[in-house]
Amino acid sequence: SGELYCSLPNPRNVRFESINMKNVLHWSAPEGTGVGVVYKVKYAVYGVGKWIRKPECRNINRTWCDLSSETSDYEEQYYASVKAFLNGTCSDWMETTRFNPLTDTKIDPPMVSVSSTDRSISIILTAPEKWKRSPEEESISLLQVYPGLQYNVSVLNKKTKKRWFFSISNNTLVVPWLEPGTTYCVSAQIHVTTPVLDSGFSKEHCITTLKDK
Amino acid sequence: GACRVSISMTEIRAGFTAIKTNIQSRDPIRTLSILSHPHSLHKVKSSDRCCITYQLFTFYVDKVFKHCRTEDSFVNRKISSIANSFLSTRRKLGQCREQNNCLCGEESTEKFKQILANYEGLNVTSAAMKSLGELDILLDWMEKSR
Amino acid sequence: VLGGAALLPAPQSISILSTNMKHFLTWSPVIVQGATVRYSVEFQGEYEREYANGSWIPISECSLTTATVCNLTEDISATVAYKLRVRAELGATRSQWGTTKGFFNRAMTSLTPPLLRAVADGHHLLVELADMGPSFQFWVLYWRKGQESRVQQKVVKEVSSVVHLDTMEAGAEYCVKAQTHVEAINRSSSFSPTQCVRAQGDTS
Repeated sequence: SGELYCSLPNPRNVRFESINMKNVLHWSAPEGTGVGVVYKVKYAVYGVGKWIRKPECRNINRTWCDLSSETSDYEEQYYASVKAFLNGTCSDWMETTRFNPLTDTKIDPPMVSVSSTDRSISIILTAPEKWKRSPEEESISLLQVYPGLQYNVSVLNKKTKKRWFFSISNNTLVVPWLEPGTTYCVSAQIHVTTPVLDSGFSKEHCITTLKDK
Repeated sequence: GACRVSISMTEIRAGFTAIKTNIQSRDPIRTLSILSHPHSLHKVKSSDRCCITYQLFTFYVDKVFKHCRTEDSFVNRKISSIANSFLSTRRKLGQCREQNNCLCGEESTEKFKQILANYEGLNVTSAAMKSLGELDILLDWMEKSR
Repeated sequence: VLGGAALLPAPQSISILSTNMKHFLTWSPVIVQGATVRYSVEFQGEYEREYANGSWIPISECSLTTATVCNLTEDISATVAYKLRVRAELGATRSQWGTTKGFFNRAMTSLTPPLLRAVADGHHLLVELADMGPSFQFWVLYWRKGQESRVQQKVVKEVSSVVHLDTMEAGAEYCVKAQTHVEAINRSSSFSPTQCVRAQGDTS
């Protein structure tokens, strides 16, 4: 398409922001441009010959574009590019660095559910799911994507203020021989050794063991 | 028999991650890949994995690293670290080969020919820099198929 | 001060100190009265010798340094034979390179036992380990005192303050010892001294 002479400043900081492989392209507006700037987005699979326009992100005024669907195959790598338009002039296409969904995504903490008896607590951890197009689509746990995935679990005794750490590969942990009538707070983190990927720790789930019968 | 080799993936991965953006920015060609197109490593049969891995480590040691010298001392040091790790890993894989545990099937021979053809299709410096920038494609595949 | 073409002597007593996968090059200072001598260090791995025409790679943190020690840890990061060299520099004058005799392989590093503290917290046996860096795992052995034949092992890959080992029977005494293991060189340290702690409650 006959592009105009492009004298508009370029979009800045064009990059993918990815959580659990929900891959969203973000950028900042060109310097000094106020209201009225619109953008076009295209993407390419690395190693394949063509750029593909994203129709849903054509002439948009927001500064993000969800490319999760287009970049869902994590055995491929991708580039994306943004061009700005204002009052009949335009900017250059500004590209991301090469995006590798497998190593460049962030992982949410696991879901933690805790139950207790009088002298033990049982912890069940659930790894987040990979982003999917629709609720009907089959769920893929990040456990399947990262076979070396482990959980680091922290258990805090609120009475003694002592914290213990467990490192487990399966998703359940029972901590027996606890103090009755005592509150324990549990949080957990996902740890992938290679590629190195760590989630943050989940928020604490506190539970009180039953009083002695 | 299986070919069980302990590879310091974490160290190689850390070395590559430190220079990934720098190296990939030196490769302007988006439309060609050495390792992943037209045939993906992920389609290699498990029986051929050891052989393909050995061939690829040899490819990197013999052809790639020596043409990747840059003006950046930090990048050169990381490339040296990766190259020497590849050398020691290839030696272990070589021992597997000698015990006939690393047989090359037709598919891996064909796949490796394709990689060499991709490589020879570019001038040597561009091809070497592109190959180095694709190291995570190799590492991702190796980790997935461990 | 050195006059004109007078030669600057090469550094002597060049050696490598390597403990727990931390590697340092040291050498004796070159003394020139009234002047500050600087040094530059370079390394060469097996790859450089065999495949890159014997090239040498400078370590920028140890270029034109006045120190007589250089941290090699980041660069000696493969289990192959390395050579190191250092030269003195004074203004435009440079000495010959002083090179390590023989090769250095990180597999030769000396491994010390881990610092460990066994903890009994109610019926729970825990252990505190000092972090030694990403190369290290800890092989922790623990047993009930008197049942030495039933030793259990736990591999701790990531040190995060207090690591839970197991639950203990009321009032019983349990003993713990540990060694480090470095997968990259497939070697382990000797064991730490054994420590024993007693579980809360009365022995059944």
